[in-house]
Amino acid sequence: MTSDAVLAARELLVRPGARAGGFTLRVPDLALRRGEVLAILGPNGAGKTTLLRALAGLIAPSAGAIEVRAPHGVALVFQHPLLLAGNVAWNAEVPLWGRGIARRKRQERARAALARFGIAALAERDATTLSGGEARRLALARAFVVAPDVLLLDEPFDDLDAAGREALVQDLAGAIRETEIAVAIVTHDLRQALLLADRIAVLDAGALAQLGARDEVLRRPASAEVAALVGMANWLPGRVRSRDAAGLALVELAPAATLRVATACAAGTDVWVGIRPEHVKIDVDHSDPNTLGPASVETRVSDGALVVAWIDWHALRLRTHLLAGRGLGQTLKAGDGVFIAVRPEDVHVLPRDPR
Amino acid sequence: MSGVVGEPVLAIALRTLAVSGAALALAVAIGVPLGLALGHRRFPGRGLLVATVNAGMGLPPVVVGLLVALALWRSGPLGTLGWMYTPQAMVIAQVLIALPLVVGITLAAVGALPADFHLQVRALGVRGPRAAWLLVRETRRGLLAAVIAALGGILSEVGAVTMVGGNLEGETRVLTSGILMYTQMGRFETALVLAAVLLGLTFVLAAALTAVQQASRR
Repeated sequence: MTSDAVLAARELLVRPGARAGGFTLRVPDLALRRGEVLAILGPNGAGKTTLLRALAGLIAPSAGAIEVRAPHGVALVFQHPLLLAGNVAWNAEVPLWGRGIARRKRQERARAALARFGIAALAERDATTLSGGEARRLALARAFVVAPDVLLLDEPFDDLDAAGREALVQDLAGAIRETEIAVAIVTHDLRQALLLADRIAVLDAGALAQLGARDEVLRRPASAEVAALVGMANWLPGRVRSRDAAGLALVELAPAATLRVATACAAGTDVWVGIRPEHVKIDVDHSDPNTLGPASVETRVSDGALVVAWIDWHALRLRTHLLAGRGLGQTLKAGDGVFIAVRPEDVHVLPRDPR
Repeated sequence: MSGVVGEPVLAIALRTLAVSGAALALAVAIGVPLGLALGHRRFPGRGLLVATVNAGMGLPPVVVGLLVALALWRSGPLGTLGWMYTPQAMVIAQVLIALPLVVGITLAAVGALPADFHLQVRALGVRGPRAAWLLVRETRRGLLAAVIAALGGILSEVGAVTMVGGNLEGETRVLTSGILMYTQMGRFETALVLAAVLLGLTFVLAAALTAVQQASRR
């Protein structure tokens, strides 16, 4: 275990049994570091919850080991946190009561934990009468009450509205910063994963598909499956044609549709080409040196914050994102003729398996 | 003592309380841990056991009386105890009648907990006796329902206690067996007095338990 790792899985193999679907979870190497948030992203049934429970020591692995360097323990908040009969304060005290800590000390620490998540005023309320957001806050306060070294969260923002989620993320980010706790957040939703993540682990069908720094995973997904999960919406097959004088490769995506990209792949290689939507630039005055030439806007939708436009470029559909409410985000409409540009370094190229 | 006057009502009522109280305490002491264990352990044959418990909730008391009588009869397997026609025999019969009720309702109370209850309790760092206490605390309304049901089953039961107790004056006569006897004798006033005491007792005890149950809401 490296010096800053507080929890690490080594050659982990977990078979949760036929009851849980009978799949096998394999994680060769995964470490949680102090003060860092790891988002574990994956579709439903990928084994995220199983991994989290194995990390918490609630499920015994079939092989491998979980190394723990957490004197204050590992706290796990379930997707549907158990609220016990009694008031909010009692619920927050339970982990301390379980550790045999005296009542006065318990009450003091529970109060502080509730205050940290802004629900100190609810201390006397019956826990079963809390709203979804309040229950979430209580579950987090209860996790923080023992000042754990590691915090594991299973879909912590799932059943909250946008405003509640934003407020909770702020409080949680503050608590993480102050306590320098190591955090893992499991979610199926990329946008929730990105709220706090420093690193991203992608889990697919029980296997660790990719683990890396947030931007690395977002910009350089290791497979088509990961690309789809991390929102690399433009994912196209192509072939490396040649190299130009600058050492950039020319990749042909369709007749007349070629991209200049930085890749080590040799000419003739079949490749996947990935471009994040935010890297497809609408080149208004056709001045960008990385221009791809003329294209047209096929469809445009907006949720008020973001404009999503699909661009027809040599019969290929490229997705692009713009900020709504100003500039092009306001004026762009379906049917517009535009120029688009993509920087070679923003294009991710992956050899295509001859499967 | 025998004859026209008969045993004082108070003595019969106190004996009823003693016998039924002992039976209830035993049934709860055995049935609740059994129900809690059965409620969250998975093992082969569990389904059959649960079905047996549920069927046992409808066990006819006379059948229990017959089985206990067979066991305690002088030539029976427990004949050497000499318990036939004693309060001990009545307690055994009542425990057997109440046990399936206690186990079955406890089982249902545990079943109403979230499926990952034990995992979550463990994740909160609560283990051992404290975890058991938390389980009791979370199911306490159901557990009290089990006690109330068992109390009703025990107090109202007449067939088995008469069969194995014998309704002996001053020894094994309880309110229900007394009511049965006086009614057969045509002494309806005495039967009615005993019935009123029985109803009063049942109501007071059930009301007390209900008060506890409702108080535990918060």
